[in-house]
Amino acid sequence: MKEYLLETIKYLKRKRVDYADIRLVSMTRESIDVKNGVVEGLSSHEDKGFGIRVISNGGWGFASSSIISPPELKRIANLAIEVANASATTIREKVHLGEVEPYVDYYATPCQEDPFEIPLDEKLDILIRTTEALGTHKSIRATEAFMTFWRTHKFFLSTEGAFIEQDIMESGGGFSATAVGNSDAQRRSYPNSLRGDYSTAGYEFIREMQFLSHTERVRDEAVALLKAPPCPSLEATIIIDSSQMALQVHESCGHPTELDRVLGTEISLAGGSFLTLEKLGNLKYGSPIVNIVQDATAPGGLGTFGYDDEGVKAQRTDIIRNGIFTGYLTSRETAPIINGKSNGCMRADGYNRIPLIRMTNINLEPGEGTLRDLIADTKKGYYFDINKSWSIDDKRLNFQFGVEAAWEITDGKLRRMLKNPIYTGITPDFWNKCDAICGKAEWHIWGIPGCGKGQPMQTAHVAHGASPARFNGVKIGVSK
Amino acid sequence: MIGKDRIFTILNGILKKSPAEQTEAVFLGTSSGQTRFANSYIHQNAYESSIRIFFRAVVGKKIGVVSTSSMLKDDLNSALLNAYNIAMNQCENPDFTELPSQAVYQRVKSHYSETAKFTPMQRAHKIKMIFNKATKQHLTVAGRFFTSELEVAVVNTNGIEAYQPLTSAAVNVTIMGDNSSGYAEGLSRDVRKIKFDRIAETATQKCLDSANPIEITPGKYNVILEPKAVAEIIEWMNYTGFGAKRLEEGTSFLSNRAGKKVMGENISIYDDGLDPDGLPMPFDFEGVPKRKVVFVKKGLAGNAVYDTINANRAGVKSTGHALTPDSSGETFSLNTFVAGAKNSLSSMISKTEKGILVTRFHYVNGMLDTRKALMTGMTRDGTFLIKKGKIVSGIKNLRFTESMLRAFSQVKMISRDRQAINTWWSDVGCIVAPTMLITGFNFSGKTEF
Repeated sequence: MKEYLLETIKYLKRKRVDYADIRLVSMTRESIDVKNGVVEGLSSHEDKGFGIRVISNGGWGFASSSIISPPELKRIANLAIEVANASATTIREKVHLGEVEPYVDYYATPCQEDPFEIPLDEKLDILIRTTEALGTHKSIRATEAFMTFWRTHKFFLSTEGAFIEQDIMESGGGFSATAVGNSDAQRRSYPNSLRGDYSTAGYEFIREMQFLSHTERVRDEAVALLKAPPCPSLEATIIIDSSQMALQVHESCGHPTELDRVLGTEISLAGGSFLTLEKLGNLKYGSPIVNIVQDATAPGGLGTFGYDDEGVKAQRTDIIRNGIFTGYLTSRETAPIINGKSNGCMRADGYNRIPLIRMTNINLEPGEGTLRDLIADTKKGYYFDINKSWSIDDKRLNFQFGVEAAWEITDGKLRRMLKNPIYTGITPDFWNKCDAICGKAEWHIWGIPGCGKGQPMQTAHVAHGASPARFNGVKIGVSK
Repeated sequence: MIGKDRIFTILNGILKKSPAEQTEAVFLGTSSGQTRFANSYIHQNAYESSIRIFFRAVVGKKIGVVSTSSMLKDDLNSALLNAYNIAMNQCENPDFTELPSQAVYQRVKSHYSETAKFTPMQRAHKIKMIFNKATKQHLTVAGRFFTSELEVAVVNTNGIEAYQPLTSAAVNVTIMGDNSSGYAEGLSRDVRKIKFDRIAETATQKCLDSANPIEITPGKYNVILEPKAVAEIIEWMNYTGFGAKRLEEGTSFLSNRAGKKVMGENISIYDDGLDPDGLPMPFDFEGVPKRKVVFVKKGLAGNAVYDTINANRAGVKSTGHALTPDSSGETFSLNTFVAGAKNSLSSMISKTEKGILVTRFHYVNGMLDTRKALMTGMTRDGTFLIKKGKIVSGIKNLRFTESMLRAFSQVKMISRDRQAINTWWSDVGCIVAPTMLITGFNFSGKTEF
């Protein structure tokens, strides 16, 4: 196979393209869904194919196929050139790529226990027992437990001489219980909503979650929410849990710092960004305790890899330092526009998609103290826990999040539970209200396997490290 | 394109060797051209050719699902054996009885060779026409234009043999000014039917008319939602309300309300996989013929969409709404329609003393309170203030937070014209929606542009 790929690179050079790369991707996914004690989904998927990206006459072209053979590689190479030449008829400036070292390397994520080697009955047993434990109350109408595993093998070759091979193993899962009353339905999830938690790890990650140790609390909280009073509408101090902070970072810091959005090339679906170029190094994004990095090297992060899909080595770079906006997520094409080098954020969700600028692990750095300390330090406020709904405008300014549950805080203690909590704000205004971030002991890197972007929609695996954090003067409970 | 006979020959040849008691194969083969543009040039341009074949193997009530992207005989045999092995190690699904049996399908015209053969240069030519128009107005263009060809086939050992070739073409255009934008789109199985000129003109006019937007205070307003905005709400009703599982578990706004009033008498919402006003598709991914399903009929709560397993559990028949075999029993309306009435957009504007016209929403989310169909989202790309029956200016974008049961109980006018709206599943369906005038629609927040 390597010989076929190298031959195709030689062929593309003979065709005198400006640049070309080939990604050959082989992905295996196993997915298990148990609902109410019944295995409703148990499937295994093999996906293999290649995509060729070409710059010809200054325009971009891409073509892909799931048939892997020398004639098909040549056919697809020619198609990519044809597509690039069509693009070239509309350009004002030829595509220019920033320089990158043409690495020849192999990378693999660590994995202690291969999840594909774990007997199926062991996985089913945990998931079935989890839903059975969750369902032991008459108000619980739906219980769900799930696991998903991915094993991805990639080759990347370019006309510049790169030859990179990577093996990425990803594992994760979670569960939820839905209680239904006369007029509403309430759900609690573990360890997070959005299909649980995920990591570049093996089955050891599932074992560490200890599903069965958390079912009773999740079940009882879902039931209790039915009778809980609604969250009031007012301006308040809120403490946001680590998992919801991860989504807050995702929507209001991760997406707006994608340089392709800033430059307008995602307008047609995802939108643009308020972080226009003159704000780099100047915007007071948040309070001085807010520090955010993109870190594709973070151990266990779902956005961890060796090289991105342009062959750029994984990096850790600042996004926000001491509250000041200091960096974008970039690619080889976009970085030179801000006189920079790519920080390695280009990824595609399969062989048949164009790489886009995607979040890697966008991490809010930890502060100090424990969650218990932070609650004890709060005279009056609310604790918001685990995401339920999410929405943000197309420049990433006005956001509104709903969470599964909130608790009142008075005199430093958690009090009664509240249902249907919502909070809303404007991104920089909100981050400037952050007056405390918990320390390392509360910090967790949350894997999110479903970040959507692009047309056709691509789903990226990203992660966000975060600790619980406190914000003052936040508008809560805005639903009518 | 591989063709019906060859696909049936390959799949039946593999199924004959199946060690399972019952076996199903689902074939999806696509070729598509995807052209994206921004700042008035093409920046992403792709051709995709891909295949996916699912095998569902059944042993008693135990089911295993495997898919592969390879058409090589050895890979197909291996995938089938893998599905069988998973089934053997599975637990029983008590709601499974058997795979569907032989069925008759309505003939549907869904493939146009002009769409299938549309070239990258032809797409570039159409898009350049839009660029040229915008440039004359000192505006820039962003959007996407795709043409695709898809073959869907379902074969099983109980006699199902279903095949449908489909084409789709869709364009969306956002015209950008200094401080405003306008949006329009088109969708058809036949690329020749997309009116590029009109789409460009509509988006351009919206951009020009919304220039220098003013800020208004959030609150309750009469609102005119154009078809794209209505479709974005319907899409979330679909996720949270129209599927059998949501109905059964009690989280749907339809749960335990069959025959009861949930919306105004002028609202009917239904699924019809055979209606040529949408993108028809005669069968689902189990090979079951599509049946019309009414979710809301003249304001009264109706039914949900079912596949065979959910239908068995509920004691009803499948409505032909199974998704691909890896969907864990989720069902979905792929051809959703909101009934039209007899009004026009111009009559709605002229009868509005004070209100807001919304072209489209952004990032709608319907998870807030699914029993109330409580949703939130932002306006985008053409939001206007109406005073005394006329559009008077563009306005800065607003956030709505509203129960759609309440909003759809306060619909005063519905247009006769409806538009087929592009969705992420537009190879096999779409949402067909009218324009609506709703009173007292709740805008809960605002943004800075």
